[in-house]
Amino acid sequence: MRLEKCWFCSSTIYPGHGIQFVRNDAKIFRFCRSKCHKNFKMKRNPRKVKWTKAYRRVHGKDMTQDSTFEFERKRNRPERYDRNLAENVLKAIPKIDKIRVTREEKHHKNRMKGKKQKLQMEAARELEQGISLVKAPSVLQKDPSLTLPKIKVGVSQQQSEDNHPMEE
Amino acid sequence: MGGKCPHRNVKKRRYSHKTARRTKFELKGDDMVYAQLNKPDEERAPLPLDEDLPGMGQYYCLHCDRYFSNVAVRDEHFKTKRHKKRIKQMMGPAPHTQLDADVAAGMGMPDNGPKLMSM
Repeated sequence: MRLEKCWFCSSTIYPGHGIQFVRNDAKIFRFCRSKCHKNFKMKRNPRKVKWTKAYRRVHGKDMTQDSTFEFERKRNRPERYDRNLAENVLKAIPKIDKIRVTREEKHHKNRMKGKKQKLQMEAARELEQGISLVKAPSVLQKDPSLTLPKIKVGVSQQQSEDNHPMEE
Repeated sequence: MGGKCPHRNVKKRRYSHKTARRTKFELKGDDMVYAQLNKPDEERAPLPLDEDLPGMGQYYCLHCDRYFSNVAVRDEHFKTKRHKKRIKQMMGPAPHTQLDADVAAGMGMPDNGPKLMSM
């Protein structure tokens, strides 16, 4: 009843799912779906296929180093059972999972930080380059409202003393 | 007349020749070759004598996992483009392993427990 990870896409393989290939040097390759198995048989590199976790880790799209990763690991040495420790661990698991999810969301937000500014710059550049397809250049000189404003004018607001309709 | 025979499959015919089947099924995996190449020279055992292999199994290309009949043929193989491509590939990053998959999935490094005292 051990949960393994797929060799190709790093998904969790639950019992009764997937397929396993044992090479003649006794190295085991586990696959969660026939999609991963087929990609393995085609000798594809998981680090170059964009939908795998290995690709996302190499290209910095997922969080890679965090202390919450240390709680889930393969333990090759059995521990003696301790009831109190087991209860505390079971109590701590949802808390650790919540912390990990929060940190991953923060990582994603940091990665997307400069995206809005980038989109605005791209839109401005596209407008500047492509406005001649909509209006002829001679018309643009007559009607400057279709182009981006070149000069910012400061508008001064004056308080008129005669206009007080609400106070009546 | 002239209808297509339903049993003759072009794909099966195309992939059933010797080179394709050897490439797909018989070659050593990249990680095995990589491990052999990175093994220090003291641990590399001399090639065992095998009468079933060409050249008694003494003229071997580790990158391409091929045996040759004599030194001249093997040295000629070292000049081929496929061999050079293979060398370049083996000098690159280490091949993907299950450990890489586990780490990418969010697991830590394996816990092997305390080191046992050597007797």
